[in-house]
Amino acid sequence: MQFKKEKLVNGLVIIGEINKSAKSTAVGFFVKTGSRDETRQINGVSHFLEHMLFKGTESRSAFEVNEAFDKTGAQFNAFTSEENTVFYAAVLPEYLIEVTGLWIELMRPALRDEDFNIEKDVIKEEIAMYKDLPSFDVMDRCRSLHFDGHPCGNSVLGSEESINNLTAEQMRDYFAKRYAPNNMVLACAGNFDWDQIRSIAENSCSKWQKQTVERKLEESPCSQKKRRVEKSNLAREHICLMSPAVSAQDPRRFAASLLGTIIGDDVGSRFFWELVDKALAETATMQFAAMDGTGAFCSYIRCSSEDVSGVLDIIRSIFRSLSESGITDDELKKAKNKILSALVIKNELPMGRLIDLGFNWIYSQRYRTIADDINAVKAVTVDDVCSLIEQFNPGEFTQFSIGPAQSS
Amino acid sequence: MAEKLDKHILKNGMVVLGEPMETVASAAFGFMLPAGAALLPTGCCGAGSVIADWIFRGAGDKNSRQLSDALDGLGLHRASSVSSSHITIGAVMEADNLTEALDLYADVILEGKLEEEQFELAKQLAIDEVLALDDDPRQKVMLKLKEQFYPPPWGRSTIGEIEELKTLTAEKTRQIIKDNFNLSQMIFAVAGKYDFNTICRQMEDLFETDPLVHCAPCPVTQTTKASKYTHLNNDGAQVHIALMTKTVKPADEDYYNARVAVSVLSGGMSARLFTEVREKRGLCYAIRAQYHGLKEAAGIMCYAGTTPEKGQETFDVITEQFNRLGEGISKEEIERAKVGLKASLILQSESSSSRAGGIGRDYYMLGRVRSLDEIKSKIEQTSVDSVLSFLRNNKFKSFTVVTIGPKKIKRKKKKATEATENTEKDK
Repeated sequence: MQFKKEKLVNGLVIIGEINKSAKSTAVGFFVKTGSRDETRQINGVSHFLEHMLFKGTESRSAFEVNEAFDKTGAQFNAFTSEENTVFYAAVLPEYLIEVTGLWIELMRPALRDEDFNIEKDVIKEEIAMYKDLPSFDVMDRCRSLHFDGHPCGNSVLGSEESINNLTAEQMRDYFAKRYAPNNMVLACAGNFDWDQIRSIAENSCSKWQKQTVERKLEESPCSQKKRRVEKSNLAREHICLMSPAVSAQDPRRFAASLLGTIIGDDVGSRFFWELVDKALAETATMQFAAMDGTGAFCSYIRCSSEDVSGVLDIIRSIFRSLSESGITDDELKKAKNKILSALVIKNELPMGRLIDLGFNWIYSQRYRTIADDINAVKAVTVDDVCSLIEQFNPGEFTQFSIGPAQSS
Repeated sequence: MAEKLDKHILKNGMVVLGEPMETVASAAFGFMLPAGAALLPTGCCGAGSVIADWIFRGAGDKNSRQLSDALDGLGLHRASSVSSSHITIGAVMEADNLTEALDLYADVILEGKLEEEQFELAKQLAIDEVLALDDDPRQKVMLKLKEQFYPPPWGRSTIGEIEELKTLTAEKTRQIIKDNFNLSQMIFAVAGKYDFNTICRQMEDLFETDPLVHCAPCPVTQTTKASKYTHLNNDGAQVHIALMTKTVKPADEDYYNARVAVSVLSGGMSARLFTEVREKRGLCYAIRAQYHGLKEAAGIMCYAGTTPEKGQETFDVITEQFNRLGEGISKEEIERAKVGLKASLILQSESSSSRAGGIGRDYYMLGRVRSLDEIKSKIEQTSVDSVLSFLRNNKFKSFTVVTIGPKKIKRKKKKATEATENTEKDK
């Protein structure tokens, strides 16, 4: 594998990792913008904008964009998080230039009023869809409770109200500020010719204007608040717990990821043996979510409403035992094996590789090989994980629950 | 795409398949056990979920914890699923750990401890999974749809029915495992980095027995159900609409025409449903149609979720698009559908777990594994004429419809006999 990098005068970074033995190539734009970069008035604009980029340019209608992608057989899509908007495609090498050209075009969209108005309905449908998915809804609401007014707690989708009030003009303003070349990375992974990619980007993106873009990394709080809401149509209790963790830039992120696996992998973890294996909870998982300048451990538990207090007692005792006695060598070894094999499997696909390549650059402005990550995971010691527990006690969590009405 | 297929049949009839992949360091495998939902005895709906959990709760000389630790120690990413025909248990891992993983899986299949106490826990989790379906109307509506569409027992819920799960006993479940874990009908598939000779010798050591005369119970397909509409009341934010109509089976010579036709409807973002329902009218966020095939029957299924006041229009636009498909398709639409299907085939071929699943399914459905070149060439051979002629000969006569949400939809009834309608009380 060979790594390539180029930075245009306007700040756009182009990176590529060439793997000539791959059958496909993945290409995408990583834009460093998400719901944490929004004000309350325009909450949901980053995600809405992600949809609008597919609605066409001055020279292409939405249908022509979709048609052009579909002609290449590309598997393409986009996603928006609290801090990034990513547009990606997996494609056969012979169509790569065409698809890269399309993405470049789309990064300068028309943002027409009529498209904005129709898409507003689609966004409201997406909000409604997630309301019917309590496992998602509870995470979203817990994040907001946990960050307690800090922008990291902003909802990615926004609310029906914020979307109703949003204007196309506000979106165009936001676009002009955030989709600046110096706030974006064009990344490519798999089987491709670097010179071709570099030259198409140079020729087409150099005219984009550099802007002053910033994200304030204010200290993020952990409210440790506890809240429950009832929904009469639910059958189960959905619980989300959040506590602080290290950031995406912190070298201890590998230890944090191992700790998440030890506590809450879907099999063989502490949650698994104490809750799922004993059939007290149907699902109990924890993940480490690395973010820009901050981070969180997020757990999701689903159980019957009658079992909630017992389940939470067990969770508290798991966290207490971690604080008091730490983890064992054996636990760490198993967690490493799981994470290492996941790394190998994910990176076999250019699409999986693209995501790591892009995010490493977005967060740390550096290239990491798969071997770098493997070595970093292997190097973590029991002491590293224990000192992480000491500093970020997972027992001090924010809790949000959604469940059926309780009979009184 | 010069891929190679490895195949070996043990004396007892168990099939061992492999697809080597030169560029990967992983290996993925799956054991297809003939114990899917349709093959279970009447009154045992959901036993598949219980079994898929129970067999991992201790096997060979290891108790539940020791077995799980051993699997985790190999860094295995496990996957179990229940379909109407099979329970499939498998994993993907770094190739060096394959041999040890297969030894452990042989214990799980042949030497499960199947303890009573562990059974109760596995059963409780299976019951919880059914209960949790109420909180996931998108998944529930598709399960209900298959139940209504396929002739019994092929549409039987792969997750289970509460009442039947409650009465399930360890003794009965042990008997199901004994009857259905029939080596002569088992398919093993591996893909990625492996040595086929080593695999075959290991499989012979682990699974080869004398030829078996024993056959797993084979269910009798009952007559097709009349097409009907089922609505489940749910005070949610959306009405979840699912519909399905009959089409040709995977082994049919028109299979590829059917796949291309479905792609014209819903293959990419320029396909008809996405364009008409979402892009032009803003009716939905989620809208998709897909081919769903069993060996015994097949259909084209479609899902859309929308707010209650838009439910009727969404349903009408979808059914109109289905019905208009046979009236004409442009050459460009067919070309896009074909290139999409071919590209997705090649992209999937880079993943060891996709390939292990693919070759196993092929063998079960067709009795042989299609090469990627064969599939590619069959897709190439389709044309506007072939797809239209297929649609003329296989008109979408009726739709099975299920909705979950606060509001029903109305169907245009062609005949009085189609007027069967169910409303089930739900949350």
